[in-house]
Amino acid sequence: MTTRTEEWHADPALLSRYLAGALDAVTGSSVEQHVNRCATCRNAVGSLLEPRLVERTWAGIREAVERPSLPSVLRLARRCGLPEPTAVLLAGAASLRGAWLVGAFLSLSFATMAAYASGGTALAPFLLVAPLAPVLGVGAAYGPRQDPLEALIATAPYGRTKLILLRTIAVLVSVLPGTALLGLAIPGPPWLAAAWLGPALALVPMLLALAGFVGPRAAAAAVSLAWSGVVLGSTRALAPTWPVEAAQQGVYLGLAVAACAVIAIRAGADRQPGVAL
Amino acid sequence: MSTTPIVTDAALVAAVADEDAGALRELYERHGAWLHARLIRRCNDPEVVVEVVQDTFVALWKDARRFRHDGEVGAWLWGIAFRRMVSRLRSHRDVVLIPEWDVSPTLQQVMPSAEDQVLLGVEYGDLAAGLRRLSPEFRSVVQAVVLDGLTTKEAGRLLGVRENTVKTRLHRAKAQLRATLTEPQEGWR
Repeated sequence: MTTRTEEWHADPALLSRYLAGALDAVTGSSVEQHVNRCATCRNAVGSLLEPRLVERTWAGIREAVERPSLPSVLRLARRCGLPEPTAVLLAGAASLRGAWLVGAFLSLSFATMAAYASGGTALAPFLLVAPLAPVLGVGAAYGPRQDPLEALIATAPYGRTKLILLRTIAVLVSVLPGTALLGLAIPGPPWLAAAWLGPALALVPMLLALAGFVGPRAAAAAVSLAWSGVVLGSTRALAPTWPVEAAQQGVYLGLAVAACAVIAIRAGADRQPGVAL
Repeated sequence: MSTTPIVTDAALVAAVADEDAGALRELYERHGAWLHARLIRRCNDPEVVVEVVQDTFVALWKDARRFRHDGEVGAWLWGIAFRRMVSRLRSHRDVVLIPEWDVSPTLQQVMPSAEDQVLLGVEYGDLAAGLRRLSPEFRSVVQAVVLDGLTTKEAGRLLGVRENTVKTRLHRAKAQLRATLTEPQEGWR
């Protein structure tokens, strides 16, 4: 650079013409090359721009910079394409926290080990725990006691049904793959690894339907007790695989359909689906 | 007349790397408006400009450590901003505009003052004349690669031509420019 350019500064009229796009590209580029290296002219441009535009941009920058970084669960959910408010609501669910998931996985692992050690004669531990893990997870995913965001959700215009279904899906997504992997380790017929899915998926709508009447805690307790009764009762006289054989699967399916019908009817009657759940 | 800042831009970037929000604000004061101005000249949508400048400074906040202290902060910020804007071409085909090389006649009557002519002479020698003589395809390539600092790949995406086409045009444009100049200039090899 020569001394000429250090002394020279673009006058306001030239800069205004630049901003208005009234300079041809060669002159405009020339102005750019100068202003890029000249703090005085950069400041001059600042006073010619509309201050509101510049301040609006800064407000956005400050907001992004000052916002605390999101917890890892939220960032994962955001990366999966969920909008941020939904991700926050999801992460509020007790059963989506690390501690709950680790607990569920551990109890499933122990049940799997017990079934494995027995060599296929005692499948009850696995059949008992595997369907209950998602069901209890769903039960703990919403409700006044478990939800730190409950007060917010109750007052926000956010569909309760939507929230419950969303969390249910999130719980199933987070629990089912691990359970399916453990199921592969179970001795016995190959179809067994998938058979527990039937009761697991049937128990969820039953839980949701019941929760509409007695609340999620009582409903989770009732469903767990019922399932435990089925599994433990069958160990006395019947085959180890009895709770998940075809005829029983049909019954579960029927119950699940009935539960969905109950939810639908109650939602239709109240015109407020959130009340039904 | 001299407005040499007491704290240099590079020192401010180092302060931003240590999460100093005040330094970020100071850098915005120094470079934000000019970034707006340069982007507005290249984009038809003010909302996009606002978002791109915001993205740029948020990126600065996050990646200040990555600034290699061997260049100018302003040029670095421009690099981030213009790349963001070009990458928007993928999602919104209509946002980026190349500056018009030939301004409408009414505007062109306002000729650069004598001082501006001096500026052109000092900065470019006869380069301005050489640029004006280039065909529009060549000029847009020179604009994107040489003046705006894009890679040939990015320039290809911006101009909607293949990277090899950009390289060929750039090569020929430089040869033409070299021919119009009395002597080859630094930085144009």
